[in-house]
Amino acid sequence: MSADLRVAGRTTAGPQRASRTRRAWRTVWRSPLAGRLTFPIVCLIVWLLAIKVVTTIWPFAVDVLPTPWQVFGFMFDEIMGKTVAPHNMYETFAISLQRLGIGMVIALIIGTIIGIAMGLSKAVNAFFNDWVVAILAMPNLAWALFCSLAFGFGDIGPTIVVVLTGVPFVIINVREGVRNTPTDLFDMARAFGVPRQRVIRQVLIPSLLPFLFAAARYSFALGWKGLVVAEVFGGQDGAGWTIKFWYDAHRAYGVVGYALLFVIFALVFEKLMFDQLSKRLFKWRPAIDAADVVEARFDAQTKAAPQPPTAPSAPDHPRSNDHG
Amino acid sequence: MATTLETARPTPPRRPSEEDVVRAAKRKDRITTWGWRLAGYAFFLGIWELASGRLMDENLLPGPSTVFRTFGELWATGEVPGAFATTLSRIAIGFSIAFIVGVGVGILMQNRFLNGFFRDAVTIGVTTPGLIWALLTAIIFGNRPAGPIIAIVLTTFAIITVNVSEGIKSLPKDLIDMAKSFDVGVVRRNREIVLPHLAPFIFTGVRFGFSIAWKVTVLTEVFSSSKGIGFEMRTATQLFRLDEFLTWILAFYVLALVLDKVVLETLERRFFAWRGELKS
Repeated sequence: MSADLRVAGRTTAGPQRASRTRRAWRTVWRSPLAGRLTFPIVCLIVWLLAIKVVTTIWPFAVDVLPTPWQVFGFMFDEIMGKTVAPHNMYETFAISLQRLGIGMVIALIIGTIIGIAMGLSKAVNAFFNDWVVAILAMPNLAWALFCSLAFGFGDIGPTIVVVLTGVPFVIINVREGVRNTPTDLFDMARAFGVPRQRVIRQVLIPSLLPFLFAAARYSFALGWKGLVVAEVFGGQDGAGWTIKFWYDAHRAYGVVGYALLFVIFALVFEKLMFDQLSKRLFKWRPAIDAADVVEARFDAQTKAAPQPPTAPSAPDHPRSNDHG
Repeated sequence: MATTLETARPTPPRRPSEEDVVRAAKRKDRITTWGWRLAGYAFFLGIWELASGRLMDENLLPGPSTVFRTFGELWATGEVPGAFATTLSRIAIGFSIAFIVGVGVGILMQNRFLNGFFRDAVTIGVTTPGLIWALLTAIIFGNRPAGPIIAIVLTTFAIITVNVSEGIKSLPKDLIDMAKSFDVGVVRRNREIVLPHLAPFIFTGVRFGFSIAWKVTVLTEVFSSSKGIGFEMRTATQLFRLDEFLTWILAFYVLALVLDKVVLETLERRFFAWRGELKS
């Protein structure tokens, strides 16, 4: 309504002024796509300018910032499978993914068991709660350094780091899920004398599924970050080790190129795997919107969790996240 | 306490009112909760302490008592306050910049063009592991103080922005429309409608941002610094002194938790005292 008024006012004031260029400018200014396309261009310009600035400030540091062409050349070589590093890109990511997968499965199993117990019993909740929060708030650098010293180089250390970063998230999400299960369904099950095992299998688990799914999503995103750090200190191969390889060789273009590969990897996983999976998994739900609502609300709760257990979870807590 | 004394004197404790029953039940509940909680502490600390000598080598897994002793020793050397001050000042500077950038970008994202422009930047900032920024800034800046600060800004601003833009999605549109139709200026509109609405979102962003900022700072210091907590941790691990390493990280961890839970939470409560119904 107000827009109409304003348009009317403007046209009466100067009908001729809304010239074509101006209208074009306004369409550009209103379109998110144009902004999205401008972003890489601006990034490139800033990058080139930064190289200029760095080389003028520290004349000795010529190869400190790689040029975009170097980086893209490097990435192209990596994607083609040509590399100086001991493993090419695909092997490297496969090794890391394997560790991530094993760690996540262990984290999901342990986390689900403890989470269900914490959701069902107040005593168990009191027993574990502070420690879950403590492990959640621990930087994965600490786990990484510790595991690299305690377990040596190899697969065990990084996998344990993935488990340790993932478990508290799974626990908190599953507990939240148990608390959110429809209690009337339980009441009805009890009234009709349904055996406990069947209740767990047919009521509890289906209602937990979205929470578990979101837990998997988070522990994937965070476990990946933890895994990379762990591999830097306690790995012999894998993505983190390889980026450290380029860092140690002082090849900045290798570090930047690998960083971009990381971003692409994470995005591909988020979009291709988790989005598809969530569509497939929750097909049986009557409305997809409902699933979204549950996940959104539940996000807020998880994200409130790193804060104290008594944190007020206001209903309008925004969805802030570490994931993509 | 006083009520029980008073009711006990005139009549024998015949009729404990409903309120008393509820209160007693609550008290009992609290006692059992605290009991279990203490049991949890005893259990985990006990496992840690027991494992340190028996399951794993004492040098590999120093127990809690060793950590306490080492903290005393480190404190006696006088290195602790200096290292803490270095790291904390880095966090303070970097986090302030990240806050300004994050809120600024979040507010700018009201515009559709700028929304598209910054969307990918935010996604990249949120998904990229802090390790990458740590390594990059280490290569570019060496051990200059700018390195950790820029790493903090790059990792943290996106989290604050995500929260702010989430808040912007739920802006009271009718209020803004009304302000527009009454010709309220852009600045005033932002200050009096947008900012108060965004404040809780910004606060959440600050708390998550802080919890990530201190971790990234320590990580960056591990690679490229000659003082600070991260540097001390690196030295300790390179000398294979796990007791010192654990002491450093745990000490700083406790400090960060205190900052988050005590300082930020008190601030939040003070700040939102006018709302009154935050506790749900």
